[in-house]
Amino acid sequence: MMDPPKSNRPNALWLMSRFAPHLALFGVLIIIWELLVRTGVITTIMIPKPSSIGASIIDLYFVSGTIWPHFFITLTEAVLGFCIGAAIAIALAVGSSLSDPFRRYVMPYAIVMNVTPGIALTPVIIAWFGFGMGSKIALAAVISFFPIFVNTLTGLMQVDNEREELFTSLGANRFQIFTRLRVPAALPLLFAGLKIGLTTALIGAVVAEFAQATAGVGVLMNRFSFQLNMGASLATLLSMTLIGLILFYSMEFLDDRLVFWRREERREAVSRKRARAWKRRAETSGRTR
Amino acid sequence: MEQQAIIEANDPGTAVVAGSNVGKTFANGTVVALDNAEFTIPKGKFVSLVGPSGCGKSTLLRLIAGLIAPTSGHLHVHGTQVAGPRQDVAMMFQRATLLEWRTAIENVLLPTEIAGNVEDADRERAMELLHLVGLGDFAFSFPAQLSGGMQQRVALARLLQTGADVILLDEPFGALDEFTRERLNVELLRIVAEVGATTVFVTHNIAEAIFLADEVYVMTPRPGRIAKVIDVPLERPRELAIQTSPEFNHLVDEARDVLGAH
Repeated sequence: MMDPPKSNRPNALWLMSRFAPHLALFGVLIIIWELLVRTGVITTIMIPKPSSIGASIIDLYFVSGTIWPHFFITLTEAVLGFCIGAAIAIALAVGSSLSDPFRRYVMPYAIVMNVTPGIALTPVIIAWFGFGMGSKIALAAVISFFPIFVNTLTGLMQVDNEREELFTSLGANRFQIFTRLRVPAALPLLFAGLKIGLTTALIGAVVAEFAQATAGVGVLMNRFSFQLNMGASLATLLSMTLIGLILFYSMEFLDDRLVFWRREERREAVSRKRARAWKRRAETSGRTR
Repeated sequence: MEQQAIIEANDPGTAVVAGSNVGKTFANGTVVALDNAEFTIPKGKFVSLVGPSGCGKSTLLRLIAGLIAPTSGHLHVHGTQVAGPRQDVAMMFQRATLLEWRTAIENVLLPTEIAGNVEDADRERAMELLHLVGLGDFAFSFPAQLSGGMQQRVALARLLQTGADVILLDEPFGALDEFTRERLNVELLRIVAEVGATTVFVTHNIAEAIFLADEVYVMTPRPGRIAKVIDVPLERPRELAIQTSPEFNHLVDEARDVLGAH
């Protein structure tokens, strides 16, 4: 007696009608661009023809596959840098939320780190960590730190007096208040910080690659630009967009799973899941008794 | 010793909550939130605290809950001095203060979770309580899927889950519309009678205070004090219709006189 799975997937026809105008506009813009370059209004040295970008995309991504080793190097740098930055940021934010003196000591450094352009640290970081992936990871970590730290701390410091009073009146200790009230209440802001941090980590990795590196999409793009191969250069830029989208949407996915109580659809799904789990437990405990 | 004497003198053996000379000042004694409150609440009785803002009614409730400490006097629950939040006293607020990441039943189980491990018996009890407040079908709904009145019902079930027999309610339905509030008040009477709890209910609505209570403490501000204790001899169970009876209106006038004269 199971309900058939409800399908919310829109059909192909609906998708077509939804996206057709956007595709049409995109197509028209590309054609105008191509014509402007072909008729000589814009010189190819400044801006390549869409068709030559397309040719480079096909070559770099599908024929020679030159882009992929660089793609994965940059992706790895951004992700590792983000993880390190996020771990330090969350640890310090938790510490700062639990102890006022700790926060007072940490805050000035965090603010100084934020107002100093992190990117400007590039030469120093390369001097410290070398031309390899280490310096890219380090810069990514440094510049993704602050947005995560500030958002997490703000989230953890939100105090709902009535709810805290409720916990106190139930005899909860500080640890219970922290894990059962403060942390879940901070999750939405934590994820907002993580999403910003992930994007800035990518900026850090790419900028460090531009400065001095042996591999990565930043290196590749630098090389093509020096050769005035604008088509290939912009085709490489596309890979950064791709990395950015992958990172952003993976975090968005995690956010939607973990902070499920904001969206109606997710709430209903989790609600059904918990009802089933309850029933299962009731059945098994009934059997053992 | 003197304390014990007062409790016994007022209601030998059955006083559940007793205060003698209870006072609370804020801002280094410049604001007297509650002045010299003397009272005893017998087992199973329903007491309403009514009065304008600043009369100390919420302060008195928080004192009984052990959320704040008195600056003078003594406060006893079940014969032991109140020194902080305790297992036999539970409180409910104007806002439902549910955790939006927990289903209704998980919210009801929160007190058990904080006190220790959740056993099968606790889960069964939580489910029974949700049925008692009329939300048996909504056990797995999240607060965002429930109306304001339903959320307060969950909060009431959570309060009963603590197993406390002294129930403190701080304008619990104050944020709801008139109709929902009246309906919930009737249900509240049924529920506290069923679990046999001793109840203290804070409100600024005179009619509501009288409708619910066995005794109404009429409180006046500056300094906050219990100005008069009105006995409510109306029959139970009570219907909303008694609010139009002459006895009821006589009680309302009596309370209004105290508040008006102040």
